[in-house]
Amino acid sequence: MTAVENTRSRPRRFALPKALRSPLGVIGASIIAVWVVAAVLAPWIAPADPLAQSFPRLQEPGGTNILGTDAVGRDILSRVIHGARISLPLALLVVVSSMILGTVLGAIAGYFGKVLDEVIMRVADLVFAFPTIILALVIAAALGPSLTNAFIAMLVVSWPGYARVARSLVMVARQNEYVVAGRLLGASALTSLWRDVLPNVISPVLVLATLNVGAAILELSGLSFLGLGAVPPLADWGAMVSDGVHQFSSWWIALFPGLAILTVVVAFNLVGDSLRDSLDPTMAKAVNGGKR
Amino acid sequence: MRHHFLGRAVTAGVAALALLALAGCAPAGDQPDKKEGASLVVDMSFDVKTLDPGRSFERTGTLVNHVLYETLLTFNGDDVSKPVDGLASYVLSDEDKVMTLTMKDGGAFSDGSPITVDDAVFSLQRVQGIAGNPSFLLDGVTIAKTSDTTLTLTSETPNPTLAYLLPNPSLGIINSKLLTENGGSVDSDDASESFLNGTSAGSGPYILESYDATSQIVLAANPEYRGDQPAYSRIVVRNVIGETQKLNVQAGESQVAIDLNPDQVAELSADELNIKSAPSRYTIYMMLNQDPSISTITSNPDFSTAVKSALDYDKILALAGKGAERPGGVVPSMFVGTLPTERGNQFDLAAAKESLKASGYAGEEVVLHYANDVTVSGIALQPLAETVQSQLKDVGINVTLAAAPEATELDNYRAGKEEMGIWSWGADYPDPQNYIAFAPGENLGKRAGWLAGDAERVERLRAAAQAASFDDRGAAYEELQVALNEDGPFIALFQPVGNIVTAKSITGFTSNSVWTIDLASIE
Amino acid sequence: MHPLARYLLTRLGIGVVLAFGITLVTFTLANLVPGDPVQAALGEQASANPAIVQQFREDMGLDKPLPVQYVTYLGNLLQGDFGVSVQTRTPVALELQRAFPATAELATAAILLSILVGIGLGLMAALRRGKTVDHVIRLVSLLGISAPTFWLALVAYYVVFYQLRLLPGSGRLSPGAVPPPNVTGFYTIDSVLAGQWATFGDALSHLILPGTVLALSTIGLLTRFARSSVLDVLSLDYVRAARAKGLPSSAVTLRYVLRGALVPIITVLGIAFGSLLSGAVLTEKVFAWHGIGEYAYNGATRLDLPAVMGVGLVVGITYILINLAVDVLYGFLDPRVRRA
Repeated sequence: MTAVENTRSRPRRFALPKALRSPLGVIGASIIAVWVVAAVLAPWIAPADPLAQSFPRLQEPGGTNILGTDAVGRDILSRVIHGARISLPLALLVVVSSMILGTVLGAIAGYFGKVLDEVIMRVADLVFAFPTIILALVIAAALGPSLTNAFIAMLVVSWPGYARVARSLVMVARQNEYVVAGRLLGASALTSLWRDVLPNVISPVLVLATLNVGAAILELSGLSFLGLGAVPPLADWGAMVSDGVHQFSSWWIALFPGLAILTVVVAFNLVGDSLRDSLDPTMAKAVNGGKR
Repeated sequence: MRHHFLGRAVTAGVAALALLALAGCAPAGDQPDKKEGASLVVDMSFDVKTLDPGRSFERTGTLVNHVLYETLLTFNGDDVSKPVDGLASYVLSDEDKVMTLTMKDGGAFSDGSPITVDDAVFSLQRVQGIAGNPSFLLDGVTIAKTSDTTLTLTSETPNPTLAYLLPNPSLGIINSKLLTENGGSVDSDDASESFLNGTSAGSGPYILESYDATSQIVLAANPEYRGDQPAYSRIVVRNVIGETQKLNVQAGESQVAIDLNPDQVAELSADELNIKSAPSRYTIYMMLNQDPSISTITSNPDFSTAVKSALDYDKILALAGKGAERPGGVVPSMFVGTLPTERGNQFDLAAAKESLKASGYAGEEVVLHYANDVTVSGIALQPLAETVQSQLKDVGINVTLAAAPEATELDNYRAGKEEMGIWSWGADYPDPQNYIAFAPGENLGKRAGWLAGDAERVERLRAAAQAASFDDRGAAYEELQVALNEDGPFIALFQPVGNIVTAKSITGFTSNSVWTIDLASIE
Repeated sequence: MHPLARYLLTRLGIGVVLAFGITLVTFTLANLVPGDPVQAALGEQASANPAIVQQFREDMGLDKPLPVQYVTYLGNLLQGDFGVSVQTRTPVALELQRAFPATAELATAAILLSILVGIGLGLMAALRRGKTVDHVIRLVSLLGISAPTFWLALVAYYVVFYQLRLLPGSGRLSPGAVPPPNVTGFYTIDSVLAGQWATFGDALSHLILPGTVLALSTIGLLTRFARSSVLDVLSLDYVRAARAKGLPSSAVTLRYVLRGALVPIITVLGIAFGSLLSGAVLTEKVFAWHGIGEYAYNGATRLDLPAVMGVGLVVGITYILINLAVDVLYGFLDPRVRRA
C-alpha cells in the first residue's frame, strides 16, 4: 500500500481509532479479540483433542466435560474452541477476497464505463437477483461439499456488493479535479485509478467488509449446516449444530456452537456499525447500497 | 415527554399482536380432527421415488405397496421363514426349476373387476420388461400362462428361493386392463408410472388417496377388499426425520414411529409407548477397494488385514445402541448361515500394527466415502465413519472422510471408484443367497474391484454354498463367510436393531424384514 | 411519456432481462453438477441396460448438445413445462405448485409480522432515542440479525414445541387433517373462504412457530432500518417546523415522520424478502414444512437437475417480482420519482 501512503494530500478517511471510542464498538472488538485469542491458543487452552473420541457418548454438560460430549464421545467445549479456527479465518478470507475482487471489478466498471461497465454490472445484477443462500447452495452442491467449494460459492455471491459500492464511489471520484489533472499530466488510466481514485474508495469498502463479516459467518455456517461446507470430523460450528439435529434431546450438542456463532456475529456487527457511524452520511449511504 | 402517547400506542400494538399469536395457539391443544378417530398417522423417513410396484424398491414404497397390492405368495405376519399362499398357491417341481401357481377364486381389484391369471402374468412380465430396480428378482425366469387358472415360472437353474421372492411387494399384482388403458405395457414403452403414482391399481386392503414423494402418502381402506377390513379406515404416512418422529409420537401427534435409533428409544418411557425391537435386515459394512488402479494401498492384502484387526468392533457396535448385534460375517443373525460373532474379525491392536508394517504403508492418506443423507434403521453413517477414522488413526492409518449425498456417492461406488466406503446391504428376501453379492465378480464384489478369478478359495466355497442341500446350507454359508472375512475386501461392522414405537392405543401389528410393518395389521 | 410510466416500464424491462438471465444461470449451474443424472434416476438394474439408458437420454433430451438443450428448455418454460424431476419422475411444475404456496404462506406471514413489529419497534426506539427502551430494542434487533436462523429454529422447536408443548412443531396442518379447498394455496386464507374455522385455527397454529423464527432476523433488519430512517426524518426541517408550530406529537409522528420514513423502509423490503427465502431453506427441514426451501435442498443434494433449475427459476423470478413491486411502490410514494 505504499502507493497510497506516498500520495500527498489525498483523502484518507481511515476512521478506525474514532470508531473504537464508541462503547459498543469496544465491546464488539473485545469479543472478537477473545475469540481470536481462543482460536490462536486453541491447542493449549482446549481441555481435550477436538477429534478424540475419548469420553462416554452424549454426556450432559457439567461433569468432566464442561459442555458435554457429542454422539461419538468428543468434548464439545474443545470442539467449540477449535471451531473458531475454521469459522473466523474462512469468513475473513471470504470477505477479503470478495472485497478485493468486487472492488477491482467495480472500480474498472466505474472508471472505464461503457461495455466493461455494462458487462460487469449486469452480471452483478444477476447475482443480486438471487437470494444469497439459494445461489450459494446450488453452486456448493454443484461443486461438491468442501470448505474450498463453500468458499468459492460465497465468493461468487459476495463480490457484487463491493462492486456496486466501488463503482458508484469511483464514478464520483474520477470527476475530482486532481484526478483529471493527474490524467492530463500523463498518468496512465491504471495509474490514475490506482493512485488517485482508489484511496477514495478504500475506507467505505473496508467498512462494508467489516459489516459483512457477520453475514459471511452466518452464511458459511448455514452451508455447513446443510452439509455443503465443512467435512467431518472437522469441528465447524455450523456442522456441529447440524449434528444436534440428529441428537435432538441432547440439546447441548447444538446449543453451544450456535451460541458461539451468535457471539462472534454480534461482535462483528457491533464493530461494523460503529465504523459505519463514523463515516460521513454520504459514504454511509453508499455502504448501505452494497448490503443485501 | 411528548412521544409518550405514540410509544404507548406502539407498545399496545405489539402486545395485541402477541395476544393474537397466543390466540392462534389455542386450537393446537384440541386437535380439530379427533372426530375422525379412525385416521392413523405413521411417521417414517421417506426414501420413496415411485409407487409403481414394478419400479419401486425402496423401503417406503415397499411398505406402502404391500397394502395396495396383493402378491401371489405372501408371508404370514412376522414369519418370513415360510412363504404362504397369497392370490395363488404353488407347487415346485423339476429340481426346483418350475413353479406352478394356481390362482384362487373370488379376488377383485379395487375397481371391482376380478383378478385373473392374465393380470398375474402381465404384472410379472411387466417387472421384467420395464427393467426397474426390482427386475432382478425375476432374472432368468420365464413366465407363462398355462390355463385359465394357472401360470408357470420356469428358471434356467434350480431356484429354490423363488417362493421367497414372490411375496415382495414389487411383484404385486396389478389390474392389467386398467393399467393398459393408462399407458401400461410389459416392455420399455410402459408409460404408466405417473398413473400409478396417483391411483393404485391393486387389490390390497387399502387404496391410494394421495401421494407426495416429499411429504406424505395417504391411504384409504379399499371397500372391495375381500379379506377383513383393516382397523383404520385412513392412514397418513408422513415423511419425518427420526428425531422429530420421536417427539411426535411422544406428543401424540403420530401413533407409529418407524425410524427411531436405540439412543432415541432409550429416552422413551415404556409406560407411555409400546416399543417393539427386532434385528433389522441390514448389514453395515466397510469396503476396501481391491483394484490397484484405484488404490495401491487398500488393494494390498496386508493393509486389508491390518484394517480388519485395527477396528474396535465392540466400540463401533456401541454406536449402534442397545439391541444391535454383530454377526461374524455379512449374513444377519436371523438368517440361515449366519456366522457367530466369535468366528468373525477380532480387534487386535498389536496384530494390526504388525500387518501394517508388513504392508509397507507409510502414512499416505486413504479416503473413506459414505452417504451423509441417509440413516439405516435410524443410524446415521457419519458418527460411524468418524469413529472408524479415529480408530485407524490409532494404528497409524491416515483416513480422510468424504461425505456426499447418497445419489452422488452411490454412482461413485457402483462405478467401483471408491477407495474405502461404508455402506449397508439390506436383504431383498430372507435368505443367505442374497449375500452371494459380496463374492468376487458379483454385484458388490465388482464395486470393490474384486473380480472373478481374484480369490480361488472364496469362489470354491461360494459354489459349494450355492449347491448345498437344504440341510447343509447353513454350514456352507458359514465357511464361505470365514473365507470372505479373511480374503475379501468387505468388513461386516454390525447389524442395527429395528425399532417400531407405537402409541399405547395401538394394540397390535405385525412386522417383518421385507415390508417393515404391515399397515393393515395395525389395530 | 409520463415520468412515472417511463420509470415503471424501465423497471419492468430490467425485470424481464433479469428473468432471462436467471434461466441462463440456473441452466448453466445445473449442468455443472458432477455425476450422471441417468444413473441416479434409473437405478442400477436399468442403467446397466444400454437400450434403456439411450431411451431415457432421448426422452429427457440429454443426448443433445447443451445449447440445444437450453433452447428446448426455454421453449418448454414458456409453455409452463419445467421438465420432469429426475428423482420422482413427477413434473417439476406440479411439485413446485405443491411446494410454492407453503413457502409463500410462511414468507407472507413472516414478512407481515416483521413489518408490524419491525417498524413499530424502530419507531419506538427512534422516538425514545438514547433511552433504555432504545437500547433494549437495539440490542434485541442486533441479536435478531446476528443469530443463525437454523439454530434459532432448533432452539424454538426444542423449547416451544418439545418442552412447553405450546404450539405444534411440524407440518402445515395436524396430521390427517384435510386441507381446505384450494383457492390461493394459503391454508389460512382458503379455510376462511370455505368457512372452516377449525382448519383455520389449525393452520394458523402451525404457522406461528416457523413464521416467528423466520421473522426474527427480518424484524432485526427492519427495526434497525426503520429506526435510522425515522431519525433521519426527525431531523428534517419540515418536521421540526411542524413541531414548532405546536402540532401534537402523535399527529406529527403519524403524518410526517412515518410517511417520510416509509419510503426508505420500503426499499429494504426486497432485501428482507430475500433473507426470508434464505431462512426458509435453512429452517423448513426442521419444521417439516414441505415448501420450496426443503425442495431446493433435496433437489441440490440429490442431483435432480430439473428440480434445481425449477427452484432457482421460481425463487429468482419471485425475487424479481417482489423487487419490482417494491420499485413500483417506491415510484408512487417518492415524489421525486413521481414528478421528476
